[in-house]
Amino acid sequence: MAEIVLDKVSKQYGDGFAAVKEADFTIGDGEFFILVGPSGCGKSTLLNMIVGLEDITSGEMRVDGERVNDVDPKDRNMAMVFQSYAIYPHLTVRENMEFPLKLRKVPKDQMRQKVEEAARMLELTEHLDRKPGNLSGGQRQRVAMGRAIVREPAAFLMDEPLSNLDAKLRVQMRTTISKLQQRLGTTTVYVTHDQVEAMTLGDRVAVMRRGEVQQVASPRELYSHPANLFVAGFIGSPAMNLLPGTLDGSTLTLPMVELDLPESVTGRLVEGAGGEVIVGIRPENFEDASLVGDKEAPGATFTAHVDVIEWLGSELFAHFEVEGSAADTLTDLAADLEKVAIGRSGEDRAEVVARLDVTSDACEQADLELWLDARAVHLFDPDTGRTLLASPEGATTPG
Amino acid sequence: MAAPGSKVTGKDRVFWGVGIFMVVAYALIPVLWLVSLSLTPADELGGGGFWPDNPTLENYTGSETGVFQDDQFPAALKNSLGIALIATVLAVILATFAAYAIVRLDFPGKNLVMAGALAIAMFPQVSIIGPLFNMWRDLKLFDTWPGLIIPYMTFTLPLAIWTLSAFFREIPWDLDKAARIDGATPFQAFRKVIAPLAAPGMFTSAILVFIFAWNDFLFATSLTSTNRARTVPAAITFFTGSSQFTFPTGQIAAASVVVTIPIIVMVLIFQRRIVSGLTSGAVKG
Repeated sequence: MAEIVLDKVSKQYGDGFAAVKEADFTIGDGEFFILVGPSGCGKSTLLNMIVGLEDITSGEMRVDGERVNDVDPKDRNMAMVFQSYAIYPHLTVRENMEFPLKLRKVPKDQMRQKVEEAARMLELTEHLDRKPGNLSGGQRQRVAMGRAIVREPAAFLMDEPLSNLDAKLRVQMRTTISKLQQRLGTTTVYVTHDQVEAMTLGDRVAVMRRGEVQQVASPRELYSHPANLFVAGFIGSPAMNLLPGTLDGSTLTLPMVELDLPESVTGRLVEGAGGEVIVGIRPENFEDASLVGDKEAPGATFTAHVDVIEWLGSELFAHFEVEGSAADTLTDLAADLEKVAIGRSGEDRAEVVARLDVTSDACEQADLELWLDARAVHLFDPDTGRTLLASPEGATTPG
Repeated sequence: MAAPGSKVTGKDRVFWGVGIFMVVAYALIPVLWLVSLSLTPADELGGGGFWPDNPTLENYTGSETGVFQDDQFPAALKNSLGIALIATVLAVILATFAAYAIVRLDFPGKNLVMAGALAIAMFPQVSIIGPLFNMWRDLKLFDTWPGLIIPYMTFTLPLAIWTLSAFFREIPWDLDKAARIDGATPFQAFRKVIAPLAAPGMFTSAILVFIFAWNDFLFATSLTSTNRARTVPAAITFFTGSSQFTFPTGQIAAASVVVTIPIIVMVLIFQRRIVSGLTSGAVKG
């Protein structure tokens, strides 16, 4: 059990490359904390700094109030699960799990009991005397977890533990990890590049980009009130549509429609917001106009020419293009997002995805009346990328 | 012996059968000849047959001509074993530490160390015999065990370092890190996790070093002068026949057979330990 405080922690390599820039947040006791970001964003480096495998260049890290910058990894009492599992191939499953206990000189009978309890929890009992070479990927993964939990460490650190498993097993292990963490109540720091894992597992999530922490918040807060364009584009699948727009008072001009923003949005506008903006609209904030029940809800209707329909049974995605593109401002961002968060389909045209009710009779290559929910738009500063909307009172979690 | 999946025809079988027979014969006939010579009594040596008519062990144990009757040979055998084993142990231990450091640490001049090691391995040993002879006499290392152990170790270290670093490179670094986080000191992580995994590499190097030290003639003959440190390859050249007109062919053959045995035993023991794929299962896959 431990509270981990990162106080302006930075990592700079000898060649001047700054892998982590002033990470500054607190991981609460018993919290399931996620570090998420595209590859090369410094999340694994930060994890290695927490566990002590990498030195901290500047700043301070405290565990339960004690400075641990210079504490050797073996004395930090943290357990780590590696992406590669890193179980010892020359030892049996039992010996693997006993390894950390032996080094701590835990008495034999106690060791046996702890290993067997962990094995039961992870359904490894029948494999205890096998060598890792004979185990499947999922079983090896569980051995790595078992080795971590027998120690009853102050914190679990997990470095993309699921990324080597196939999709089905990954979903299964995700639930296992989540249950295990709830049961043990141990502070957990989990690194992933997969925003779905981040959203489903985390109590709180820190989104990182190029060594900088972009936002630390609960998954819900990240989704509904992203602090900047990067978080907006990274969290959510399909990604948020980002379009150029002009804000004049409460009137927002989009490439396809003019929107009158309700008080719930304008009331949160930061001071001086106006003029050119980047508008973020989640796919689910569109709807087939004929299916909108609440005709009085603030919003606007427009006609779109649907290019492609993706029907998934429980949901339906309609892709269409609009005039005008925010892509020029956002190429830098697109490179980091590794996916087409900013649908760029040509000169001055942007591709938009709308998530519609499956009962919609939208057809490919046909015009469709779409309704856009004005209450759910996100506004960003085109120069800084920062949000122009303050999040509602009470929703912010202290970082 | 054909490639997997291809059909083995009669022609293939004949081709491979003849080929294998030729290779085996080429390798083994001299050995058999040596064994036969060692069993041939002195007066039959000119006989010309492959097998002696009256095989005898007198070249081994005979009271007049047997190699074990002379104090020279048993002493040499003891020197050979001791020197080769100590040189092997030292070279493998040093090479293990060196190779581990070279693979795991990033330090300036790393490539220089590796290139330097290779250069030493290619260095013509005969060119340092003269200086070494003088130095060893001044340092009182001439005709001692350390006097041979040091050059053997030096000349086999490069090969051992190269072999071992190839093995260390195969071991995922995450294992070191995992051991460190599990509570091991850097040395414990090395001893309990890395070294056992590098064992096949250590045995491979051990065989190479041992064979080099066991077979060496150049250093053994130049840096020794008495039974104190003279090893078998050098001692054989000092064998004398029963009279000054007989060449000790039988004894040389017997001694050669005797010194071959430890090598065969050594290789057989260590070969079992050289199991490939020991690291399988450490990481994803």
